[in-house]
Amino acid sequence: MTAPIPRVMVPGSVARNEVFAVKAIIQHQMETGLRTDSSGVTIPRKIINRFVCRYGGIEVFRVDLHEAVSANPFFEFHLRATESARLEFIWEEDGGATYSLSHDMMVA
Amino acid sequence: MSLTRRHMLTGTIGTFAWVLALCPRPARAADEVDDFVEQWIGRKATPSDRLKLMMPAEFSTGYTVPMDISVDSPMTEADHVKSVRVFAPKNPLVEVVQFHFVPRRSLPRVSTRIRLAAPQHVVALAEMSDGSLLTAKAWVAVASNGCL
Repeated sequence: MTAPIPRVMVPGSVARNEVFAVKAIIQHQMETGLRTDSSGVTIPRKIINRFVCRYGGIEVFRVDLHEAVSANPFFEFHLRATESARLEFIWEEDGGATYSLSHDMMVA
Repeated sequence: MSLTRRHMLTGTIGTFAWVLALCPRPARAADEVDDFVEQWIGRKATPSDRLKLMMPAEFSTGYTVPMDISVDSPMTEADHVKSVRVFAPKNPLVEVVQFHFVPRRSLPRVSTRIRLAAPQHVVALAEMSDGSLLTAKAWVAVASNGCL
């Protein structure tokens, strides 16, 4: 399995108090734990179980994922532009691995 | 005992009730899903138009069914949406996803893609800041099992 690759899309700059959309996606199998391999052995569950977005250090959006979120989990969500600050995106995987990205948001 | 009109009437109604009780009614899927939230979390939720769960009524594959959720809310400290949970009662694993929002900073509007094992009502449950629960459902017919 390739290492999960996270990507986000945010607008380049926004006006103060404007609502902007964020699209976040990570390449990930989202293995449910319900499948068996060719020799009948259950493939263990391995999913992204949490996604967190922080804005200026404050958690502004969080997702708890279960097995029924599709492979390559995709979220589009909406934030209010309160200040020029760093957006951080963290994906947490079963077993404790994390994947993250950040983006400095310019608020005019 | 004289046979009055009242006796006749109550007798007739009683007979009707018996006949209804003895005829097994086909359980309607919508009824089942309306009881689902209470059975799953032990609390009643109010069906509400303020919570919108938008999904295609038919979809070719159960692997990646698009889902849009929005809640009509001012998102102030005093009145906001805390979270929205999604359930797929006919999936082998019923819990799908839960979104958490923050007053003034995020809007209760989100899109994602989910797996469905069978045609079913998908159920959304919004928890509001005053502790109330709103619910909405959407019927989705999928042509293939997306859970394997």
